[in-house]
Amino acid sequence: MSLLFSQRKSPGAASNVPGHRLVMYFIRHLQQALASVGELWRMPISSLLTMAVLGVSLALPTTLHLLLKNSEQLRGTWDNAAQISLFLKDNIDQAQAQKVLNRIKLYPQVNEVEYISSTQALGEFKQLSGFGEALSYLDKNPLPSLILVTPTSMYSSPEGARELLLKLQQQSEVAFGKLDITWLEKLTAIIDLLEDGVYALGVLLLLSVVLVLANTIRLSILSRREEIEVLKLVGATNDFIRRPFLYTGIWYGVIGGLIAWICVSLILIWLEGALLTLADQFSTQIVLAGLDFNEFLILITLSSGLGWLGAYLSVMRHVYEIEPENQL
Amino acid sequence: MIRFEEVTKVYQGGQQALNRVNFHLKAGEMAFLTGHSGAGKSTLLKLVAMMERPTSGQVFINGHNLNKITKKQVPFARRDIGMIFQNHRLLMDRSVFNNVAIPLIIEGYHLSDIKRRVAAALDKIGLLNKLNNMPHTLSGGELQRVGIARAIVNKPPLLLADEPTGNLDPALSLEIMRVFEELNSVGVAVLVATHDLGLIARMKYHTFTLKQGQMTQDGLSSTDLQESEFEPVI
Repeated sequence: MSLLFSQRKSPGAASNVPGHRLVMYFIRHLQQALASVGELWRMPISSLLTMAVLGVSLALPTTLHLLLKNSEQLRGTWDNAAQISLFLKDNIDQAQAQKVLNRIKLYPQVNEVEYISSTQALGEFKQLSGFGEALSYLDKNPLPSLILVTPTSMYSSPEGARELLLKLQQQSEVAFGKLDITWLEKLTAIIDLLEDGVYALGVLLLLSVVLVLANTIRLSILSRREEIEVLKLVGATNDFIRRPFLYTGIWYGVIGGLIAWICVSLILIWLEGALLTLADQFSTQIVLAGLDFNEFLILITLSSGLGWLGAYLSVMRHVYEIEPENQL
Repeated sequence: MIRFEEVTKVYQGGQQALNRVNFHLKAGEMAFLTGHSGAGKSTLLKLVAMMERPTSGQVFINGHNLNKITKKQVPFARRDIGMIFQNHRLLMDRSVFNNVAIPLIIEGYHLSDIKRRVAAALDKIGLLNKLNNMPHTLSGGELQRVGIARAIVNKPPLLLADEPTGNLDPALSLEIMRVFEELNSVGVAVLVATHDLGLIARMKYHTFTLKQGQMTQDGLSSTDLQESEFEPVI
């Protein structure tokens, strides 16, 4: 298609049949995408260094994400640790307490109950507190009898447990009940805080990825200034000129994302060994969750998107700026 | 083909490069544009190539007012103009083939067409055997000819050359001019900016002379020029 010479035809140029044009459009994109791989291959060391920088920058937020994911999982198991302590009135004797116990056992929300008599409690207290003999000077056992109620998993969330507590408190034998989940709430608050911190840090690190790429692409553009001028002189559009740079940015992102994934996988393998000993001591089983396939895809998509963004910022500024001037 | 109407170009900072220039290069015509350095030759060519815009006045190519060509259209308009430079402006890290193919790649030709047309262009300037050479293995004259091949590979109706023989000895210069003549003989309009008056004298073509931004001799032939006060620049 000629702008100044309407009668001029360029038979070999992209034809005007829409379908064919579209196909050619994609073929040309593919060519330029592959050409930009060649461009990276031309300077393998510096390309690889840039990719490594991106990979490490991406590995950190990914690791933090996994940290959150795993602590989230751990919290799930702790939620079940919600336990209700029911303190019985002083005048309730053993037989009455047993009755209460049996009644509570029948609650559908209750999984398990345990009775601790005041004598048992005192014995335990003597043993653990270290007051020992001093306590025998008391003329009366000051400790109440206690029923420990473990709710079913449905009612072990803070809200559900609290609801159950209200119900149990209505028993006439119960002086008052206590739900020991404040520590859980505190932990939740701390994890939430960490989460926010991790996201803030993540945003900063992702921003650094964009900036690193913008600068890399800027240098690449400036080093090819002569080529860009020539291309503009023979009629290349800005779109045409910037496309290889955008693809370069995407490739940087993809490979940076892969490096990040490898880094995180290595960290996980390393941590798993250390965690095994820790789990042994707590006599529980802790399984570290890694990146699943979806998360892996998100990581690669995100990193290539960031690569594109960095390149785009650079290209918008520099490719448009370069105009052939010094000579015709 | 190219028509200037009262074209004035003042650069930022107040330097006046062209002052109310009028001239007309007819379709299929070959002509020289001459004048001392700083007389405005480069500015005139830049206005044709849309690398600069006139401060006032109008430039027409094939009847199209270049003032009406938007920034987005400039690349497409440039595809109708073949440009040749004093320092050839080839990309030194690409082979001869890849240099000459650039305009075709930009226009989205098929690879088979590209191969055929590049071969044809290189054949025309007699360098078909250097197809796969890297530019640094070629002589100055050969590089300039590859530059010409790149300019003509998509068969533009108009060729602009800015000091195409500036770095060449007289024999090579003449050889380059013969290439231009050959292209002109098949209907391509050619405008050659040069201060090589010896070269102009040997060829009988229209000569447009710029002096301090003004067109002093429009359409005089080279013989007239030699009788003028113009001193040859060596």
